[in-house]
Amino acid sequence: MRKLTNILLIFIVSVLITGCEDVVEIELEESEPRLVVEASIEWLKDTEGNFQSIKLSSTSGYYEEDAPVITNARVRIVDTEGNVFIFDHISEGIYRNSYFRPHLNMEYQLQIEYQEEFYTANETFIPVVDLDYIEQTNGGGLEGDEIEIKAYYTDPANEPNYYMFTFRNERATFEIYEDEFTDGNQIFGYFSNEDIETGDELYIELAGISRSYYDYLFILRSQIGTNAGGPFETKPATVKGNIINQTNRNNYALGYFRLSQVVEADFTVD
Amino acid sequence: MTIHQLLICWLCLSLTLPITAQETFTLSGTVTAEASNETLIGVNILIPEENTGVVTNEYGFFSLKLPEGSYLLQVSYLGYKTISRQLDIHEDTKLNLQLAESSENLDEVVITEDIEQIDIRSPEMSVNKLSINTIQKLPAVFGEVDVVRSLLLLPGVSNAGEGSSGFNVRGGAVDQNLILLDEATIFNASHLFGLFSIFNPDAIKDLTLYKGGIPAKFGGRVSSVLDIYQRDGNSREFKAQGGIGIISSRLLAEGPIVKDKSSFLVGGRSSYAHLFLKLTDNPNSAYFYDLNTKLNHKIDSNNKILFSGYFGRDVFNINENFKNIYGNSVFNFRWNHIFSDNIFSNLSLIYSDYYYGLTLDFVEFNWDSGIKNFNIKYDFNHYLSDRFKLEYGLQNTYYRFAPGEITPTTETSGINYYKLDNKYAVESAAYISAEQEISENFSVEYGARVSGFFRLGQENMNFYNNDQPVIYNEERDIYQEATPVNTETGNRSKVIKSFFNIEPRLAVAYTLNEDQSFKASYNRMTQYLHLISNTSSPTPIDVWAPSGPYIKPQLLDQVAVGYFRNLRDGDFSLETEAFYKKIQNRIDYVDGANLIANNAIETAILNGRARAYGLELLLKKNEGRLTGWLSYTLSRSEQQTPGRTATESGINNGAWYNANFDRTHDFSLTSSYQLNEKWQLNANFIYQSGLATTYPVGQYQYANISIPVYSSRNSNRLPAYHRLDMAATYTPHPKGDRKLKSSWNFGIYNLYNRKNAYSITFRQNIDEQRNEATRLSLFGIIPSITYNFSF
Repeated sequence: MRKLTNILLIFIVSVLITGCEDVVEIELEESEPRLVVEASIEWLKDTEGNFQSIKLSSTSGYYEEDAPVITNARVRIVDTEGNVFIFDHISEGIYRNSYFRPHLNMEYQLQIEYQEEFYTANETFIPVVDLDYIEQTNGGGLEGDEIEIKAYYTDPANEPNYYMFTFRNERATFEIYEDEFTDGNQIFGYFSNEDIETGDELYIELAGISRSYYDYLFILRSQIGTNAGGPFETKPATVKGNIINQTNRNNYALGYFRLSQVVEADFTVD
Repeated sequence: MTIHQLLICWLCLSLTLPITAQETFTLSGTVTAEASNETLIGVNILIPEENTGVVTNEYGFFSLKLPEGSYLLQVSYLGYKTISRQLDIHEDTKLNLQLAESSENLDEVVITEDIEQIDIRSPEMSVNKLSINTIQKLPAVFGEVDVVRSLLLLPGVSNAGEGSSGFNVRGGAVDQNLILLDEATIFNASHLFGLFSIFNPDAIKDLTLYKGGIPAKFGGRVSSVLDIYQRDGNSREFKAQGGIGIISSRLLAEGPIVKDKSSFLVGGRSSYAHLFLKLTDNPNSAYFYDLNTKLNHKIDSNNKILFSGYFGRDVFNINENFKNIYGNSVFNFRWNHIFSDNIFSNLSLIYSDYYYGLTLDFVEFNWDSGIKNFNIKYDFNHYLSDRFKLEYGLQNTYYRFAPGEITPTTETSGINYYKLDNKYAVESAAYISAEQEISENFSVEYGARVSGFFRLGQENMNFYNNDQPVIYNEERDIYQEATPVNTETGNRSKVIKSFFNIEPRLAVAYTLNEDQSFKASYNRMTQYLHLISNTSSPTPIDVWAPSGPYIKPQLLDQVAVGYFRNLRDGDFSLETEAFYKKIQNRIDYVDGANLIANNAIETAILNGRARAYGLELLLKKNEGRLTGWLSYTLSRSEQQTPGRTATESGINNGAWYNANFDRTHDFSLTSSYQLNEKWQLNANFIYQSGLATTYPVGQYQYANISIPVYSSRNSNRLPAYHRLDMAATYTPHPKGDRKLKSSWNFGIYNLYNRKNAYSITFRQNIDEQRNEATRLSLFGIIPSITYNFSF
């Protein structure tokens, strides 16, 4: 349903805009840097899932092109059985662990020590259902001339479920779904892009995500928005994730710690 | 002064008045236009000897008490020839007056018609009237004459940018305006998501905007009242008029059913289907239409009935994939009854319906939503003496909110049937208001409205821990939806929550001399319905939520003071006002709230407050070939949503922040020059501070996307907005007996083609992998042409 709103708003804006867009110079203030955590633990079904990595960086000026990376933090994940998985810095702010043990529905805690402050995040490992099949139709999209890809899956009935699809050809786009209006049904993840054409290889990934990560991505999407700038633009807000600074509440970190089981498929566009 | 004291005061006055007054007789009647027999609203009837007078009401009625004697009666109205007539009063007298349009009788070019003069003596303030005649000649975007856009040229009225829906009055939000069309409430007054308003200018007789000092007969919205009356139709002869423009065409027909007794009016307007969609061979369409109808019948001199209807729709169809229809339907029946020659009454039965529907074929579902309401009103005007007039009445409205129903369009659709719970409520009010001339130079209008709101049971009623539908997550510093601890099935005939409020209203005028006065007013108002929107400008799908267990009614207190002056015998007039208002219980959504298809909207909103203050100046030139006005507003509009407890951060860390539509300076110059009988030239110049907005203070990378970081809300400002518009109206045959009369209107909007920033957006340029600021500007220079005719 949220997706629907987006479609609607994009449409409204495209109808309204007879005007023009141009790039302008606007001077901006710059805030103090904050820690940014990208801790997305993904476990592909039917694999070991022992190789995992986490990326740390910091915020920078809005126009700066390179994100400053953080290389001197101490990073680990602990599970409820007391297992500790140390993530060592490899390069460019990437921290890696090779003996991680994924357990569906288990609680995990991420712990980071950085600049004498201690950060934590708690999250559950979320399972996912299989992809049933993938369907291609032509003549879709709002323009009526786009290739549409629908990746079908069957939602488990009588429980709330949240999904993230990643579609990647030249670049990746993600779509998020909830099952409030589709509970227990066979339904699809939808991808349509004017740039894809016959012969393109498309990588499709479906991840199970938690309610709170879904909410996080929902706000995040609205802030990078495809509908930004029109009369119905969502008001700007800083997107707060689940990383908590235990030492100094005000110096909060950005980003998210999540754990998802994933399924994947490759699709060649006809 | 409390209400009780006011009432006692009034009682004493009304009791003593008949004793002190000498024997008086009542002069009453109706004022109509000679050509059409259409009743005229706001006609001035003056008795200079007695230094008294009266103004006709919304149905053209007036009543006045006079001692026995012979008087000179002066009847004047904008655009009409003033009547002066000697009148002997020695008994109660009925007098129906007819005014002739001034342009039809004078050879000289008449210039006074466009601009109303201010009423120095009346306590009424913060009120703007625009004649349809003035509105029709203003330069307009795409040449479409638009009622709401014209209001923006007045002080204290602004909007959230070109192409945004609705208007903001004195720093109030769009949903805080009560918009009445023939006394029926309109919930969404925009076509094309805000480009145009739904009012067909040909069908409108009169409009008044109350920004402050709002009379007790109005209630239910806290910011302003826009009171619009449709024309009744010509009961003398058949007439038709219309226009052809670049966006839409209009046609209106009116005429007698029984001559001088009953008449009809039917008007239609429709835009062209492929509006804005440049491709000629695409299957998309976007258009709007509306239909205005009116029937009225004068049963006898004391009874008149009126039926009026409005039906309008916007239709969008994209490739048969996406269909969207929305609009209003309004139907009402009114009965004017004159009880005695000094008591006028109007009974209104109103049905109004706002519908929003959406079909998404590729997701295979339908979405329907809307608001229906039934309203009954009984209003009285009671003319007790020539210096004391009462208005009182009762109003009752039943609301049915249908926030949404989702139905799959195919058997195989992956969407389940789902219905958001309908909500029901009753809003009742009783009011009394007195207008009284206390002395030669002191007059006062005072009254009170007692309002009640009764939220009725609905199918599923949620209960939360500690009655808190929104939970504060202290660790993450975010607000989250609470899960109901219990859900009960409600009963629609049971009141689950009720509110009562007393809303005092007071306005005073102190007249220094014939040409100068000071005025002051105070009003409290209550708003029980809230439009919840998390976008810059409301969209048609935004939800109206009634007050109830988790949402409190908005309460407004406004004070305004003003100085009014006519200069050079009324050639010029000056109106200056200062206002301050504060609103309690203004709700705001929490960051990232999902407001669409949310069955428990209370889980997404927090209670806050709003305030606005400012100075307004309006200088008008009323006479001469060159007429016009200069309007300036200096104001500030802010909102605050503090945390509920000391540990909570609230919205924007609990600090005050600028409203989205806040503009510091708002200046406009509107002018009209009558070159000769055939040509009239108009020009507007508008200069406004940029709207409040939020710029990023940093960025970070997450999932290979650049995400902006913001500090405080709306602390930046867009570049200033300004533009110049010109228009010329050419009337080929201004005189003569030709049946067909026509005129051409040529316009240029934004003459120097300024790229005004509608918004500045910060985003990642995907191709070049860097961030940039982009300016969106909506309307560049737009020439237009419209042909208008009547026969």
